[in-house]
Amino acid sequence: MSSSFRSDVGTDPCDSVGDDRWWMASASDRGSSRGEIDGLLQGAGYRVRSTDLRHVAIGLEQLESAMVGDQCAASSAEAVVHYNPSDLTAWVDSMLSGLAPDPNLLRHPQSTATANAWADPTRQRPSSLHRLENHQQHRNVPAVSLQSMEEEEDAAIRLVHLLVSCADSVQRGDSEMAGSLLDQARLALARVNTGFGIGKVAGYFVDALCRRLYPPPLCGGGSAANPEILYHHFYEACPYIKFAHFTANQAILEAFQGHDRVHVVDFNLMHGLQWPALIQALALRPGGPPLLRLTGIGPPSPDGRDALREVGLRLAELARSVQVRFAFRGVAATRLEHVRPWMFQVAPGEAVAVNTVLQLHRLLGDRASPEGGDAAAAEPIDTVLAWVVGLKPKIVTVVEQEADHNKPSFLDRFTEALFYYSTMFDSLEGGSHRSGGHQTQQQQTVVAAVAEAYLQREMCNVVCCEGAARVERHEPLARWRDRLGRAGLRAVHLGSNAFKQASMLLTLFSGEGYCVEEVDGCLTLGWHSRPLISASAWRADDDASPPRDHQTLLVLQDHSSSVVDGDDHLQPAA
Amino acid sequence: MAGSNEVNANESKMVVPLHTWVLISNFKLAYNMLRRPDGTFDRHLAEFLDRKVPANASPVNGVVSFDVVIDRTNNLLARIYRPAPPNPTTPLADIHRPPSPDPFPVIIFFHGGSFAHSSSNTAIYDSLCRRFVSLCGAVVISVDYRRSPEYRYPCAYDDGWAALKWASTEPWLHSGKDAKLRAFLCGDSSGGNIAHHVAVKAAESGIEVSGNILLNPMFGGNHRTESEKRLDGKYFVTIQDRDWYWKAYLPEGADRDHPACNPFGPNGMKLEELPFTKSLVIVAGLDLVQDWQLAYTEGLKKAGKEVKLVYREQATIGFYLLPNTDHFYEVMEEIKNFVTCHLKQPANI
Repeated sequence: MSSSFRSDVGTDPCDSVGDDRWWMASASDRGSSRGEIDGLLQGAGYRVRSTDLRHVAIGLEQLESAMVGDQCAASSAEAVVHYNPSDLTAWVDSMLSGLAPDPNLLRHPQSTATANAWADPTRQRPSSLHRLENHQQHRNVPAVSLQSMEEEEDAAIRLVHLLVSCADSVQRGDSEMAGSLLDQARLALARVNTGFGIGKVAGYFVDALCRRLYPPPLCGGGSAANPEILYHHFYEACPYIKFAHFTANQAILEAFQGHDRVHVVDFNLMHGLQWPALIQALALRPGGPPLLRLTGIGPPSPDGRDALREVGLRLAELARSVQVRFAFRGVAATRLEHVRPWMFQVAPGEAVAVNTVLQLHRLLGDRASPEGGDAAAAEPIDTVLAWVVGLKPKIVTVVEQEADHNKPSFLDRFTEALFYYSTMFDSLEGGSHRSGGHQTQQQQTVVAAVAEAYLQREMCNVVCCEGAARVERHEPLARWRDRLGRAGLRAVHLGSNAFKQASMLLTLFSGEGYCVEEVDGCLTLGWHSRPLISASAWRADDDASPPRDHQTLLVLQDHSSSVVDGDDHLQPAA
Repeated sequence: MAGSNEVNANESKMVVPLHTWVLISNFKLAYNMLRRPDGTFDRHLAEFLDRKVPANASPVNGVVSFDVVIDRTNNLLARIYRPAPPNPTTPLADIHRPPSPDPFPVIIFFHGGSFAHSSSNTAIYDSLCRRFVSLCGAVVISVDYRRSPEYRYPCAYDDGWAALKWASTEPWLHSGKDAKLRAFLCGDSSGGNIAHHVAVKAAESGIEVSGNILLNPMFGGNHRTESEKRLDGKYFVTIQDRDWYWKAYLPEGADRDHPACNPFGPNGMKLEELPFTKSLVIVAGLDLVQDWQLAYTEGLKKAGKEVKLVYREQATIGFYLLPNTDHFYEVMEEIKNFVTCHLKQPANI
């Protein structure tokens, strides 16, 4: 019944059996031809070029031989840092260089026996049948968490349906229908438990839709509450920002190895919560700490205070206490695109790290088409990325919401936001019982409530605002990858050590339900298998493309932005 | 053992296509790195290396998936796969409507991984579950059960049972004039073992199960069988690693004749009086635990339970993970026929 075919679906049609010349040919093919990504293994989550398959197979064989005498493969493996497991070719190669003591063991056909082709005794299947899905076509749509009670579940589903229909009417400009659906949604809310789950977040969405349909005289879609306070509570209530900070710090620390003068540019200083940990880690690093300069960007203080400088002073105090030479500069700007690199006064020979946590999306504009082609005109993001690249940073740490809240269609944005924030809110409830431990139940409830207000504000901006007012233009990691790559940044893979650290910290400090995942060298943190935030690292130091056109001596005409020099130079510790 | 590695590699290469060899060898090597001799498991590295895919409520090849929390108290998740709802503009509203007015199967799936590896969002299992939907017009519920060594027996069984109970209370999963849940318990490797034990619990508790589908189920015992000795280390699996996984799953101090591992062994339970469901058991001829799987099949027969055995002589473990062999396609047909056949019949006669 089955004839002896040599190759299975998806392999190189040039396969031949037990032919050393073929093996040699494929080894050189690897270098020159780009080759297609093998579809079969792609379905299993691995990206391997079809032409590399045999190379990988031989590598795996060699790895096994190398590990055979090793009684404790696990402990020797623990010393190794793994990167980007999807890239099987690179993983196998890196494992081999780590484990195989004899360099002659690598890349040599042992004998004709081991170089034999893999026999496929079965019938070859036409690849058009039962083709595995191309995962790259998937759009991420997140988890829906539901109540277990039957009735309530029906009501929740009906509510979602009403909201989505309402958003659809809004998009079509049918405000009468939208209004009527909104009324129905309010009624449906009454039948759903609004204390938690989809009921709670639905309530906020009903409000947001209402605000969009009947905008209040004051625009902006936000409360009067201090954004820094909201942010701080969000930081406390759940691990997303903490994850961002320690993942970024890990990457920064590694990038700064061997440098004795380092400069961190933080795109949004806030209370500087990220930096004490980095300062302490630098204090403890083997060989001693570098001279650390921190430039913190933030909005100008409304009441004549110099909030940036205050934060700088506190950090300086900490640095002094652990004997890290430290200098701080504050750059006040209402919008990131008003900042220019000369304001940082990067000194020659400094290793630069650019840190942007939930900031880059603010620089995006409307997307030109549903398929996602970007606008032809240069957006602020392009200008900013150009000067970031121009700084030749050793590391750029990027943390962004893992969601597509910048789609051209309002209905699409609305639906995405509904599920994204529903999962976010779910995690606030579900994870809160383990945060800190030093807080009382009541304190935790307050923190969680204010954290919700933070999310609500963000969500409102996605749903209610348009044009320049809409700043929460979240885009998924895949799009950021493209964008950052095109700007001239090269990916720095976050490895298993960063992953482990993130995982362990989550286990210690947060409830179960959070999950860290590795995706193509980046890390994501999510709730119940839905990624909600992503962290990635980049560099542009060596062969970065030369800066394009960026005007280093732009004269500022906008009154709302000014440079406040918050210098506070400390004398080096005696 | 050391000197025979070349031979081992060659033997498995002879019967397995290149892709399968690469995939399963990769798993084997990675898994070797995760099991520590002291019985602990490098969970962080395991999660780092595991290739996962998110749920996708947008249809891909006519299938949508979404994650639900089945049990809030221990964060038990399941990924649900179903045929894409017919109306493209309001997919979200229809995601909880029955996929068909006619009876449809609900396959409760337990992924493999020897009780320690993988999750319901692991790429290879996501692919397999999607295929089951298309194959059988089924709704598939892939249970993200708690894994060992952090969670030993009976946690995985408890989670499986919770999933079955949950499915039996979801109205949209019931079909036919009698509005019943037509549940098939299905699993590979440890998942097959879980399917058996959940089916026992179901039979004891009066919840009907339309059928069990066990793909290379994981069973064992203290005795070293002939197939274990003959095939040790030859086709990706060793007795040593099997022992490790049992030690990690079974209660401390238990041996492999514990009924979880050896359901028809000296400590096994008698199924004669129970309305235990019908089974389809698929055995790979190059799987070293086949003697235990065959003994399981015999055990079912002796207890008067209906069982169909599909024995694939030249198949190794994991043959069902890639659609590149006759084994794959023919076994999928068997599964489809089994489900279709037992969908119509009343269960548990």
